Amino acid sequence: MPDYNKPIPIPDPFVSKPYWDGAKEGKLKLPRCTACSRVHFYPRIVCPNCGSRSIEWIEATGEGYLHTFAVQHRASGGWAEEAPFVTAYIDLREGDRVFTVLRGVDPAQPEEIMKKIGALCRIEWDKASDDVSVPYWRVVG
Amino acid sequence: MPSNPSKAAAIVAAAEADEIGYLSNPKTDMMLGIEAIHNVCREAGITTKDIEGIANPGGANSYAEYLGIVPKWVDTTAVGGCSFQIHVAHMLAAVNAGMLDIGVVVNGQAGYSRRSFPRGAAGGPGGDALGPDAQFMTPYGVMGAPSQYSHALTRHMHQWGSTKEDFAEIAVSTRKWAMLNPRAVMHSKETNPNGGPISVDDVLNSRIISWPLNILDCCLVTDHGGAVIVASAAAAKSFRTPPVWIAGAGEAIGHATMLEMKDYTATSAAASGGRAYKMAGLGPEDMEMAMIYDSFTVTVGITAEMLGLTKRGEGPSLFAGGAAGPGGSGIPINTNGGGLSFNHSGMYGMQLLVEAYRQLSRTAEDGINGLPGKQVDAETCIVNGTGGSLSATGTLVLTVD
Repeated sequence: MPDYNKPIPIPDPFVSKPYWDGAKEGKLKLPRCTACSRVHFYPRIVCPNCGSRSIEWIEATGEGYLHTFAVQHRASGGWAEEAPFVTAYIDLREGDRVFTVLRGVDPAQPEEIMKKIGALCRIEWDKASDDVSVPYWRVVG
Repeated sequence: MPSNPSKAAAIVAAAEADEIGYLSNPKTDMMLGIEAIHNVCREAGITTKDIEGIANPGGANSYAEYLGIVPKWVDTTAVGGCSFQIHVAHMLAAVNAGMLDIGVVVNGQAGYSRRSFPRGAAGGPGGDALGPDAQFMTPYGVMGAPSQYSHALTRHMHQWGSTKEDFAEIAVSTRKWAMLNPRAVMHSKETNPNGGPISVDDVLNSRIISWPLNILDCCLVTDHGGAVIVASAAAAKSFRTPPVWIAGAGEAIGHATMLEMKDYTATSAAASGGRAYKMAGLGPEDMEMAMIYDSFTVTVGITAEMLGLTKRGEGPSLFAGGAAGPGGSGIPINTNGGGLSFNHSGMYGMQLLVEAYRQLSRTAEDGINGLPGKQVDAETCIVNGTGGSLSATGTLVLTVD
């Protein structure tokens, strides 16, 4: 999509390939340790919880909960014209956490967003290029 | 048999570059660092040829070469702004093991001058294009440290019921110390148009950078060079400058990227601080002052809790009503004016060391313009550096006889 003017990540073709492959199909794929069954993010070749190197990839629900946020009034590149916008950490339903730009909230009302900490959020994908889709999260709860 | 290295070494001198702050004539990292080494050696009465060990985040080899010395001990630990506390810890252990008697921890950082360097000379964007930050963080437009630390303050307010006003008190208190330090960028209107006193309202009404952080919650970006000399207990006796004992030291890494920070209101300072106290045989109740890395107001509040200076969730309360400021009812905190109002070059841990040494050795600067000096009468000081995105910590317990 030529109108995507934000930084487009270069997908790691090694460790995170299943994640970016899933992203292209609008699916959230997460690494899970087959030894301790815990999901981790960002993707690694060794489980940060138990040290096992046996990692499988699962398709996640794409649901999580707002953990914390900030309102960015200063930003770089294509984001500068969007400021102020809200960045957030989302606790995934499956475990561990991701960083995102949060939708469905008003950057001018941070006190109102404070009340949404813990609220259900859902993933949505923006097609940034033919090869890369970038996830965003929206407060739905 | 391992032995407790407590007080096996002392910091015997501390100095800064010839000029620091917003330099009108730009200088490089190396120029600032070398000036500081030159000044600290002059103060201590030694020459650079007496230096046996050298520590700097990533650049010990360059410093050794520049000075024409062949050190027998090096440390290039580079974990952000707390690297210098960790260098001192490592040097303490090495001295205790008999590996060296006199070492220097140095930093020069042209945080401000860098802006006028020739294009390309300031280094590239750095980072690993395939690393977690590049793939999962920077696509979202975040820009610099404040855009991440703000998430920690939001969480502190949510989890502990604190407010922006509570944290603004930290900036106000720190500014009061800066007003007693003629070398502080924000000392007065004479040193900077934005210098001089500030109120809680001034902080709350200052420009928003990354809510809930306003610009007066954020540290400066300035030039600085600093160096301290560490000497063995035996060697310390031969210096003309007074020893400040390294009674305790600890280090820890909680995470690298904030994506991996489990609790945004807790850092590894609890671990590094706990180890430093244990080595010193002292506790938070014994600390008569504190030098706490203040990249942002939130950094100080959380760290004070981690170091046991107050209860969890109540870090900012140490500053309420000016308690940690000049003449306050609590222990003095950040008596140089902090990264917030004195000087912050990017890795501020060096500034912490210099001020802690000056305070405990009774060589802190006097005031000017009829103001009282910033010298306090503390005989113990906890020093905590925080590096990265609330990532790594180094803690020192310093004492004087």
